[in-house]
Amino acid sequence: MASAQQGADPLLESMVAEVDRTMSVLAAEATPPYWLAVGVVDEHSWQVSATHGAASRPSTDHRRYGDIDLRVGSWALDNTHKIRDGGWFDSPERYSIRLPLEDDPTLLRHAIWLAMDDTYRAAVRRLIKVRTNNAVKVAREDSSADFSEAPPIVDIQSLQPLEFDPDPWLALVRDTSGRFLDYKHVHDSNVTLQVEDQIQYLVTTDGTRLRHQRYRIRLAVWASTTADDGQVLEVYDYVDTARIDTIPDEAAVRAMVDGVARRVTELRAAPVVDPFIGPAILRGRAAAVFFHEILGHRAEGHRQKDEDEGQTLTDMVGQEIFPAFISVHDDPTLEQWGDIDLNGYYPYDDEGVKSERVTIIEDGILNGFLMSRAPIEGTDHSNGHGRRQPGAAVVARQGNLIVSAEGGVPYPELREQLIERVRVEDKPFGLIFDDISGGFTLTGRGTPNSYAVQPVTVWRVWPDGRPDELVRGVDLIGTPLITFGRIVNASDTTDVFNGMCGAESGWVPVSGIAPDLLISEVEVQRREKNNDRPPLLPPPMPTPLRLEKGGTP
Amino acid sequence: MTALWLLPFAGIWMTSSAGPATMDLPAPQGSMLVAADMELERALTMQLPDQPKPYYVAYEFLDGDVATATARSGVLDSFNHAPYRSVRVEVRVGGYELDNTRYDGDFGERAGVSMRTLPDDAFPAVALRREIWLATDEAYKGAAEQFSGKAAAREGRPPPEDPIPSFQKIDPVTTVALNAEPVDGDATLARARSLSASLKGIKGLENAEAIARDWTGTRLLVTSEGTRAWLPTGFSVVRVEGIVRTEDGTRLRDCRWWVARTPAELPPLDTMVAEVESMARALEAASQAPAERDYLGPVIFEGAASVELFRQLLPAEISGTPPPERAPDPYSEVDTAPVPTARVGRRLLPEGWTVVDDPANAEGTAGFYLRDFEGIEAQPVRLVEDGVLKDVLMSRVPRAGTDGSTGHGRGLGMDAREAMPGAVSVRPARVMAPKQLRKRALTLARQADLPYVLVVRRIEPPALAEDFEIAFTGDGPLAGLTRPLEIVRLYRDGHEEAIQPTLGFVGVDRRVLRDIAGASAADDWVGVLDAPNGPQRFSIGAVGGLPAAWSVPSVVITELELRSLGGSQPRTLPAPDE
Repeated sequence: MASAQQGADPLLESMVAEVDRTMSVLAAEATPPYWLAVGVVDEHSWQVSATHGAASRPSTDHRRYGDIDLRVGSWALDNTHKIRDGGWFDSPERYSIRLPLEDDPTLLRHAIWLAMDDTYRAAVRRLIKVRTNNAVKVAREDSSADFSEAPPIVDIQSLQPLEFDPDPWLALVRDTSGRFLDYKHVHDSNVTLQVEDQIQYLVTTDGTRLRHQRYRIRLAVWASTTADDGQVLEVYDYVDTARIDTIPDEAAVRAMVDGVARRVTELRAAPVVDPFIGPAILRGRAAAVFFHEILGHRAEGHRQKDEDEGQTLTDMVGQEIFPAFISVHDDPTLEQWGDIDLNGYYPYDDEGVKSERVTIIEDGILNGFLMSRAPIEGTDHSNGHGRRQPGAAVVARQGNLIVSAEGGVPYPELREQLIERVRVEDKPFGLIFDDISGGFTLTGRGTPNSYAVQPVTVWRVWPDGRPDELVRGVDLIGTPLITFGRIVNASDTTDVFNGMCGAESGWVPVSGIAPDLLISEVEVQRREKNNDRPPLLPPPMPTPLRLEKGGTP
Repeated sequence: MTALWLLPFAGIWMTSSAGPATMDLPAPQGSMLVAADMELERALTMQLPDQPKPYYVAYEFLDGDVATATARSGVLDSFNHAPYRSVRVEVRVGGYELDNTRYDGDFGERAGVSMRTLPDDAFPAVALRREIWLATDEAYKGAAEQFSGKAAAREGRPPPEDPIPSFQKIDPVTTVALNAEPVDGDATLARARSLSASLKGIKGLENAEAIARDWTGTRLLVTSEGTRAWLPTGFSVVRVEGIVRTEDGTRLRDCRWWVARTPAELPPLDTMVAEVESMARALEAASQAPAERDYLGPVIFEGAASVELFRQLLPAEISGTPPPERAPDPYSEVDTAPVPTARVGRRLLPEGWTVVDDPANAEGTAGFYLRDFEGIEAQPVRLVEDGVLKDVLMSRVPRAGTDGSTGHGRGLGMDAREAMPGAVSVRPARVMAPKQLRKRALTLARQADLPYVLVVRRIEPPALAEDFEIAFTGDGPLAGLTRPLEIVRLYRDGHEEAIQPTLGFVGVDRRVLRDIAGASAADDWVGVLDAPNGPQRFSIGAVGGLPAAWSVPSVVITELELRSLGGSQPRTLPAPDE
């Protein structure tokens, strides 16, 4: 870790200078901007990876990319307003900024200016269309303003540039990746370490000046095979952290490799489950993704005013939509859960609002929504959830979604409750969803409002005491409102899912924290699968003739 | 529909690569060859039920070092320096007479080619074998599907009158192993910085950007025929772009580029800087110059513009690889048989002109090579004699009336290895002095009742084209000519006047070459980056493609049409330094 970098920051100063100049010059225009923000991400990254005992050279990258958000019109109606029935191509034009990697103020300002001018002209053009669209269309169901004010924040944090030396990690990924060769059914695999040092800047006409830094580190182990029925089976294990000293050591990575390899091998032999309805347990990580999909996305503020959205929850504030023992918060202010670094932590959102803990569900009752600075009826201000991937427009997104359950029971007891339900309902078996690879949800009106969670590890639990059986080939599916009421109990411990979430404003890091959940009834459907035969030839395996370094063929 | 994903995989924040330090290349040749031999032997035993075994398997390894730097106005924009290793696996099923290749199936149908990136470590060999094994399996399955698709497409169609084999059988090629020098990434970076800095100080300058890429390495070809060919590969390229916006909002763009086999073969930096400074002057002059609305009349193509004229219009006519068969369209009665190209006996140029491609004798140019990507020795080919196409460039894909490959089979990535130009010299029947050429053009202008003739000095390379009008003129796969970057009016009294390069050519195809009314002596070799004929020629990116070289004369064409492209807007916000 290098010493703190302090003093003048030409990038920040250039951003401020261009924001101030733009507002001053364009004030004389017929349609001046009423709000303007420039955001920049300065990112150094490193990658070290290996497959089957052979490593690739460490790679490194440095990028600076930025966004301009410029609004013309008024807080009530501006150029970002949705053009109704506008079709697929009505979204506002956006111009990303390519910034030089060196701190030359002239060139930094020049780069910002070019994107600024393009953005301004596009904003003026779009406002003309917005006004006409509003005149042509019927009154909006939600008449809230397009944008809300926010107090200025000045927080220029000191920087600790990460001086990461990837070379020592080469040996670790090389040696651990070679262990996959001991598993004959693992066809493809790798061990990868990725490290990012990300500095975010934001300057707005509110007077906000932000500079904050975060390291994002992932050590990942991946393996795949093809089952005899053609299904490609992949298992991915990883640790996300924000600290170099918590990257798993060699022993831990070895254990991850062995675990992934064994699981891939077991899955290859596991039976495929037919479509099924019955009781199930979602273990903590799966439950976290489940809540992210069925509730989290539907609690994002912008969906409550977009008339193309299903608006499942819009008019349900104050109503009990979950069992009373369930509460859900989104708390991006949390850096850690126990000793686990959370992906969804951020001090300020991408609109310059301090992140806040938001209660979405309190004792089963819908309390409120995740808000960016786009108001909705009943909520006229942001709660610090306006997020985006650089290049996209900000919308409300999740950070750390935390599900808590009053009166949870130890997991073995929850498992017994599952078996009891299987017996009572005379089901042949129940399911335990142990780990997941991801999920998605459909929230629009044009499609059935539904979700899918894609498990990696699913266990069939028999009521007659037989050992649990690993199965494969199913996705967990359903519709949100019905599912909310089917949560019947939870465990007294939680687990953390760290991942990346993709939606309208691009990919953002998120976390989900949840206890194990007992669901009275879930539905699973067959998973989409590939159909190629497994490789025709057996995989090459190490031989006694293996050449060593320095040998010649 | 709104689809949302929560995925734990790292893909979204995986970044491609780079290390600023100069790196030593690994010495992986032994490991690659051992791995290839072991997997080749196994690959030939693969057989899907009731399907043919592979009759040909080729492993093409690329092992190199690449540095790419981008700078604007002397300041670093991006820099990557990393080794690159990959294997391209090609599997053919059927036989030399009829196999799966040269067939374009429906969207999504696979072919017999697969590629994988390889780790940089040379050991253990089993790690390389795993990658080859997976790629070979995928390629074989693709080849089997492609073969069935081709057979199905032929079903019900009359058999070809003169069936042509799918692939030329050759004797194994053996060449000795090579070691490539690693790239000096610092030099790549310095080049980009210096050249982009040379464009400073022009009024209205919006972009002064230089991209430099140095790529050096070895291509190892291992085939089931017994070929073990080590082929040098790589190139150095520099592109410099300047963009100026005039007071009325017109956006003017100009470029300079150099392509060579190695950094050492690039012009000296001082020469390139001087050239960029001349571009700056040209841009400044153009920004003060009048705009031309429309023009119909004679046009002189000088120097680099003439290279672009020939290299854009001739390749389809001289590259002999036949177009692939296509599946019949079930909803159309129109025959989907490919349109023949490169027809021997067709007039391409005025009487007396010759065109020769001879990569092996072009040492020192970007087009120099001794063997193509199929390991075949590059042969000189007299393509055009007396203005008429007499012969064509060939890869190992045969066509009627040819004697096999001429050593011109190259291609990018997973694309087929097709014939493409290497080092092409275009020679006129009669050489005019520059003054005579201009006089001839002015005579033609007078006949067209024009007070001046347009002189085009530079045309944008297809890969840099921002707007390209494709003219479908009847019998070519693609025709057209990218827009000019530098144009002047040449008046009868001999004085020149710059005009804004806001014009585009209309309706140009290879037939305009027959209307060449005069030519100077051929200029020096000019390096270009290109690809086999097809849309990929326009999508190789600023520093992608395969090196080639052209030596052509400046020419005057009797009549061409250019129209204003328009569409510019003034800036609302002045530049910070204004």
